This record gives sequence, C-alpha cells and structure tokens, in this order.
Amino acid sequence: MPEPCPATPWPVEMQDLARVLIGAEELRERVCALGTQISGDYAGQDLLLVGVLRGVTIFIADLLRAITIPVTVDFIAISSYGPSLQTGGVVRLTKDLEEPIEGRHVLFVEDVIDTGLTLSYLLRTLRARGPASLRTCVLLDKRAHRLIDVDIAYHGFALHDEYVVGYGLDHRQRYRNLPVVGVLKPECY
Amino acid sequence: MRVGPYPNYARPRRAAGQPAFAHPSEAEFASLLTFYQIDWLYEPTTFPLAWDEAGRVTLAFSPDFYLPEYELYIELATRKQGEMTRKHRKMRRLQQLYPDVRIKLVNRRAFEALLLKFDLRERAGQLVGQVGHA
Repeated sequence: MPEPCPATPWPVEMQDLARVLIGAEELRERVCALGTQISGDYAGQDLLLVGVLRGVTIFIADLLRAITIPVTVDFIAISSYGPSLQTGGVVRLTKDLEEPIEGRHVLFVEDVIDTGLTLSYLLRTLRARGPASLRTCVLLDKRAHRLIDVDIAYHGFALHDEYVVGYGLDHRQRYRNLPVVGVLKPECY
Repeated sequence: MRVGPYPNYARPRRAAGQPAFAHPSEAEFASLLTFYQIDWLYEPTTFPLAWDEAGRVTLAFSPDFYLPEYELYIELATRKQGEMTRKHRKMRRLQQLYPDVRIKLVNRRAFEALLLKFDLRERAGQLVGQVGHA
C-alpha cells in the first residue's frame, strides 16, 4: 500500500483572490450530485464524456470519478480568439478527438459558459459527426452574458458578472490549481 | 400608412467589402463572430419606432448586427452613458412594437468582460467609451 499523502497545502496563489465564490467542499458536493444524476440518466448507454482543453481538466477529472456507470473520456482543443489573431482569422481545432463519436451518446463537458460562442461552435462541430445524442454539462453558467442560446442539460452553478479563476479556470494560464472558484484581486489582472 | 421595417441600404461599405463600422468596438465584435464562424450582417434592417401624422418615420433604430442562423439582432452599447440611455430607450420601444424580434444588448460591462476573457484589455481604451464616428 502506498503511504498516505500528507494534507495538501493550499497553493500560494490563493493570496491573489479577493474572495472565494465557491468553496472546495461546495464544488465537491455539486460535482458528486451531477455524477449521480448523469449515472442515472445514461444507465445502459455507451456514454462518452468530451471536454475542451484546458479549463475543463479539473472539473472533468472529478466528474468522471463521480460517475458510477461505464464511461469513456476524450478531449478536444481549439485555438483562442486573442490579441495575436490575424484579421479575418477563424477558429480551428488544435487537437481533435481520438475516439469516433458516430452513434454514441456524447456528453460535452465545459468549465464555463458565458456568451455561448465557443460552445455553439463546438456543438456544431460535434453534431456534424453524427452522435446518437449530444448533451451539455457546464460547471459555471454566466447567463447574463449569453448571446447564443445553448441548451444546457446539467448545470453546476450560476454565476453573475464576475471574472473567476481556480478549479481549472485560468488568467493567463495561472490559477488553474486553486481548489476553489474565486475572484481575482484587481491588481492581479 | 405607416412604414414598417425596411432593409438598410444606406450603410456605406468599404472597398474591400467590409462594412464601414460606426465604432471600433463593432469591428472587434464582427471579428469575434467571424472567428467563431457565425454568419453576421451589419445593420441590415431599420425598424421605425415613431411616425408623424402623415405616417412618415420620425424615429428609427438599426440594430448593429443580425445573426441569420439564430434569427437574432445584437446591439452594442459600449459608449458614453448618455448614448447608452438612448439605446436602452430605443431597445424597449422596439420590443414593444415588434415583440417577435429577438434582440440582445451587449452593454459596456459585458463588452469589457469579453475583452478581459480574450486578453484584449490593452485595446479597451480604443474600444470602449468613445463616441462613434459614422
């Protein structure tokens, strides 16, 4: 038997948070509840979780362990809109799925939805590949910012207008390892 | 007889085919839609909002964007407060007169959140809070 790990110390970057919005225990409980619900809904089906890198990694890892039925997992990655984009540039897949999804029950897992622009693109891409079903599970839902309406089957938490980090969500690739979802101090971004 | 919604042929075009956007924030938003492969039209429709006794249009509203796939109009309100208040008033009037028209407002705060999300805060000074020039 391996030696038990000592208690995990909190990351030093916790000090950059102005406040914690969702604590570690609250996240654990909600993800467990989602896993139970998904396990019931997909019992007897060939379930494939698909996550979009990189923000979803912590959430999908915990969700996967909370699902009690047979399940497989795969990841997709896309280029990001940003300051280095050439005029007229369009989104592209930077990592495609390893698994075929035709005829399978796909649950797309996302860390956060705000405008719905990214999610609508990814769902269009996946739908074109002919899955038996395609539903969405989102940890954090910023409904106030929605432009494109997307049907969300499984919600974690509703968020208001805050820019959040932690539990996989980053600011310039930092803070993903925080065990909570929190708001950064203004001087940190 | 009152005039109903009509296509907006007045919007000038640049030589390359891109619309002459009234504000840099609209150009950035169009670029974002293009990036996510969402078809858009710039100010394609003008909605009359008020008429005089002869039925002539005295107040009209041309939402900034129309997304045909989603049958959705989008209006950006990223400028100074006075202009935003006028836009809000026009939005409310449009929804009273044309309840079947789907329109969403991107206010200054939501637009700033977009800039932060896409690491474009350095452009905020150019994109938010200025008065349009068209």
